[in-house]
Amino acid sequence: MKKWILLLVFATSLFAQEVKVPDAEQFVGKPEGPPLTGALLDQRTNETGALLRCPVCQGMSIADSPSEMAVNMKHQVRELIARGYTQEQILRYFERSYGQFVLLKPKFQGVNTLVWILPIIALAVGAFAIFSMMGKGGSQPVDETPATTADEDPYLAEVRKLTGKQS
Amino acid sequence: MNRVVLIFGILIAVALVVVLSAGLGKDPQHIESPLIGKQAPDFALKAVGTGETIDLTQFRGKPMVVNFWATWCRPCYEEHPVLVSNAQMMQGQVQFLGVVFQDKEEKIQQFLNERGTAYPTLVDQAGKTAIAYGVGGVPETFFLNKDGKVVAKFEGPIDPESLQTNIRKAMTQ
Repeated sequence: MKKWILLLVFATSLFAQEVKVPDAEQFVGKPEGPPLTGALLDQRTNETGALLRCPVCQGMSIADSPSEMAVNMKHQVRELIARGYTQEQILRYFERSYGQFVLLKPKFQGVNTLVWILPIIALAVGAFAIFSMMGKGGSQPVDETPATTADEDPYLAEVRKLTGKQS
Repeated sequence: MNRVVLIFGILIAVALVVVLSAGLGKDPQHIESPLIGKQAPDFALKAVGTGETIDLTQFRGKPMVVNFWATWCRPCYEEHPVLVSNAQMMQGQVQFLGVVFQDKEEKIQQFLNERGTAYPTLVDQAGKTAIAYGVGGVPETFFLNKDGKVVAKFEGPIDPESLQTNIRKAMTQ
């Protein structure tokens, strides 16, 4: 009996000593895809890493940055993909900690919608302005006033007289 | 038509000036923490020196100051005495915790031996805890209320006034 109690105390102390780090499952649930290995795991890690901003760099993705922070984040991405987490789940996990700042591709929602829509609107308005100006220019009546002749213009007649030239 | 183009041009220019001036005034490294108002991610990490595992949840019921730092970070040297003196002053009322990442345990121990401490310092081996808290650069300090909710985040070396203001927030919210 004493032996069992000692074993139980030992097991409890082992459990109490366990290091626990925040896990993605706590925030984005269980993996929704199949666990990946090998070349496919490398490829997905790079693809997902390219979508996440390195928080200590200037506009670099974690896939491109050599900083320790980015390397740690990339390791975590790899580990999550190996466990079967989808790209959408991983982006959601990082967004939960860092906000939309961490996403290199802004989401099509809220104020971000403007980032996607405004260039298209500006292009459309610009094209409309150019075409309507071209249309107006084309339909304007041609000035049909005949060129002034020396007989009608006293100034021109005077100049010709002075220079001794005739039309 | 020229008038319409002119007005449109002015509108675009004004919008650009507003957006750029707002953007230029901001620190590009500043990250608004989406964790504020949410439950702080739980962790249990080994303490430097004792090797004891300290679990964040064991301090529920007390406001907390969780400071992420590293020995290679110069501003961390600046804020360390501020944190230690406040932790001593508020012992029993507020729990302070240091979390060190991207560092070596011997260096951390040496730092603490030379500069002293008044609260547990934990090692975040692969930086997963820092990532879960959205830490961009050290030092960063999180303030948790007695229920474990994040009420504030401070980036950079903390001064005594900011520390006290945020502790008050953690005590009242």
